[in-house]
Amino acid sequence: MNVIPIAYWRNRKVYTRMIGTKCKDCGAEFFPPVRVCKKCGSRNLEEKEMPKNGSLLAYTKLSEPAQEFKEYAPIYLGLIRLDNGVNVISMIADADEEKLKAGARVQATVRKWTEDGKGGLVYYGYKFRVLQ
Amino acid sequence: MSRVFISSASALPVSEYWTKSLADLMTDVASKAIDAANGVKIDKIIVGNMMSGYANHQEHLGALLASSLGMRGVEAMKVEAACGSGGAAVHEGYLSVKSGEYENVLVVGVEKMKDMDTPKTTKALAMAESSDFTQAVGASFISLNALLMRLYMNSYNVEEELMDYFPVIAHKNAVTSPHAQYRKAVTVEDVKRSQVIADPIRLLSSAPSGDGAAAVVLSAKEGPVEILSSEIATNDLIVAQREEPLRFLATEFAFKRAMQKSGINVQDIDFMEVHDAFPVVASLALEAMGISKRGKAPQDAADGRFNMGSELPILTFGGLKARGHPVGATGAYQIAEAFMQLAGTAGQNQVKGAKLGLTHNVGGVDTTAVIHVLRRVE
Ligand SMILES: [Zn+2]
Repeated sequence: MNVIPIAYWRNRKVYTRMIGTKCKDCGAEFFPPVRVCKKCGSRNLEEKEMPKNGSLLAYTKLSEPAQEFKEYAPIYLGLIRLDNGVNVISMIADADEEKLKAGARVQATVRKWTEDGKGGLVYYGYKFRVLQ
Repeated sequence: MSRVFISSASALPVSEYWTKSLADLMTDVASKAIDAANGVKIDKIIVGNMMSGYANHQEHLGALLASSLGMRGVEAMKVEAACGSGGAAVHEGYLSVKSGEYENVLVVGVEKMKDMDTPKTTKALAMAESSDFTQAVGASFISLNALLMRLYMNSYNVEEELMDYFPVIAHKNAVTSPHAQYRKAVTVEDVKRSQVIADPIRLLSSAPSGDGAAAVVLSAKEGPVEILSSEIATNDLIVAQREEPLRFLATEFAFKRAMQKSGINVQDIDFMEVHDAFPVVASLALEAMGISKRGKAPQDAADGRFNMGSELPILTFGGLKARGHPVGATGAYQIAEAFMQLAGTAGQNQVKGAKLGLTHNVGGVDTTAVIHVLRRVE
């Protein structure tokens, strides 16, 4: 077992809807969610859904991913700046290296992440794809 | 408070030890260090290690080593800070001696990675970053560094070729390094032609995995080398949550404190063991310490500023890249190497007249930075 099912269940809102946090005191937004604001130190935070559009800052093609992803190798990962200025690292769906350029517009979608062995649970979450 | 000296140091060649266990590696290297310290009585054992639970199904390494050394009754424990575990263990040993509570402390860094296959090793290394939010999305440790390297190259307009000088320096120094894993010189062309692991990081631009152990005996009694300062600082665990991903804040903080506490000038440092897990890590570390201007470390490396015999030699026994990177042991290797340089026992790798050295060990992507400043006792 390479995925911890209960941890996946605990984080499902983050994985499928990209729920992060917003600081009620200074307005800073974070993804994934934080318990304490990294800007002002406040513990007064609320849930905030992240925008699904952003721009690609950098990407990498990974030929030897960790074991739960090895059957999907190579996988593409992107460092993305969402339209609210928050950075996120995500797998890239339907990757086409021709279109993976710094500055490319990308959008979040929900896809299969991995499967826990044969007949095991299937895990879904956000991946970004390049917009035409 | 006591001053803290290093009485002795020992380092096993980084290799693939199929016939030796974790306890064997630790016991071998610890015995050598204790013998070299004239068999002093050890009051405390600290083991630096990152992944023995996952890699070798073994925890409780303090007791494992104490027991193997036949030291019933001695205090012992393990310290963990990912790839910075070895440096963190030395830090804890330093504090123990400095406190005045302990006379002689044995610090061992150990990692036995070759018990795992590659996908399992990838998983183990990824544990330095968030399980819930980074490993879950498929990002491995090397891929985080690859994204950073791409961002660095884009931001500072640096060609990949320029970054390849770090592995070239490391391998050149490793040729005569008795405990190095890869004692073979490489050229920029070799690096450029090697297999891509996580674009733009290649096989020859990433530190290899291996088995290894290094040990030092720290003492309140004067020895050949003194530790002037030992500092640890942290940065955001999740790399994506850093506002300025190209700033190594943990290194900046630890370096600043280390300089203040040791009271030395940066210009007086004779050599540095920098955490060169990847060229981008070495670059950002040198820039965080103000050795190079931002975006200029690769050019400085290409210009020969960090070669042996130049103003500031780095990676004097091959660094992580060529000496090898048995992750939780690496920080202890750096201290053992600095000891050899300052005690004048570095052989063909000797930095002539070395009086002051600095080691920089990192856990994660500058998530934990451990900096030691050491001096030769005249
Ligand atoms: Zn705030």
